[in-house]
Amino acid sequence: MIEKFIKHFNYYISLLSIFALGLAAAVLVSPNFTLQIFIVTLTIVIYVVWGVLHHLLVHELTSKIMVEYILIGLLGLSMIFFIFMGAKV
Amino acid sequence: MIKFLIHLFTPQTSNNYRSKILHPKVLSVFIIFFFVSGFLMHYAKNNYPEVLGISSNISIEQLLVLTNQKRQENGFYPLKLNDNLYQAAVGKGNDMLSKNYWAHISPDGTTPWVFIKNAGYSYTYAGENLARGYSTSEDVVNAWMASSSHRDNMLSSKYQDVAFAVVSGNLTGEETVLVVEMFGSTKMAGEPSIAKQETAPKIAVISPTPFPALNQVFTPTPTIIPSLTPIPSPTPLETQLAKQVLIRNSNYQIQPIVNGATFTRDLTRSIASVFIFVLILDMLIIERKKILRFVGHNLDHVLFLVLILGVIFILMKGSVI
Repeated sequence: MIEKFIKHFNYYISLLSIFALGLAAAVLVSPNFTLQIFIVTLTIVIYVVWGVLHHLLVHELTSKIMVEYILIGLLGLSMIFFIFMGAKV
Repeated sequence: MIKFLIHLFTPQTSNNYRSKILHPKVLSVFIIFFFVSGFLMHYAKNNYPEVLGISSNISIEQLLVLTNQKRQENGFYPLKLNDNLYQAAVGKGNDMLSKNYWAHISPDGTTPWVFIKNAGYSYTYAGENLARGYSTSEDVVNAWMASSSHRDNMLSSKYQDVAFAVVSGNLTGEETVLVVEMFGSTKMAGEPSIAKQETAPKIAVISPTPFPALNQVFTPTPTIIPSLTPIPSPTPLETQLAKQVLIRNSNYQIQPIVNGATFTRDLTRSIASVFIFVLILDMLIIERKKILRFVGHNLDHVLFLVLILGVIFILMKGSVI
């Protein structure tokens, strides 16, 4: 795990920065729920695009990998949607 | 059963060396589950609020007791409920809901002092604390005490009166419960030392500025009133007394069978945690067995799901200003 992190250090640092920025922005706009949802969705989209791009540039991008990133992104989005519908609106 | 769990959670020959739960089909099932459940939850909340809703148990009585408890613990005298301040607090709460803002000063520039003045409370000192998204009185008071400026208001020796209003409605896209706490003291309240208390430790409150809107006529918007908290209006003495009792006993209690907030939070947190665990386990086993496979980085997904857990925490957190 650590080996992989060091090997793709720049990628992981950029990924962590995207997440930290997304999270910080969500805190900053709190409690504007609509804006928070927009920021989280944007962060998820960036995560998927960044992951796919990384595989395209550094590894071999297959449709299976692309689908995996999209599905994990959708899983996160569906969780937020579930909370939004069940607890907030 | 154990075989199935191993197949589900660890990479094996049977699942092509990828934990079954991470296969696209299973992931899709979870995604569909969350989306469909979201719609069902929304439907149930709107149509069967007694079964599924947002649980809230905030009582004015308890807010007062807790506030005074904190004050007495810190060597301050207790505050007493004031009718006019209550009217101001309800007016402020309803104004926020009707104009859809979450701030001490409304978008049209109305300060809290306008509500206080219009309610007939002639203040020497006044202050305001706001909270939203909390489900118990303890949580509200603890959140105020955890913030230095709100704590200063709670523990100020300049105030003698207090009022709480609990209103609910849709604010900035979120169905929420607002708590407005207004503090004040008057010149003729038999507290000659109040003026001297100006030299007491500084108060990080919205200071009662010279009333800027005295020439303006401001009518607090009559809007949605919380179930048990009526807007007081000038009444005879008997009704005033009855109203005092009502204010002291008012509370905002919603106790559905299933609390939508905790249910959705706990379920998503649990499932996200299971995925994080499986992704780490999958990664460790594959690294150990040195199996080559073409999949995305598990570490990416782990970090992503940790982000989702962080977002859930932020979304479910109440806020004070």
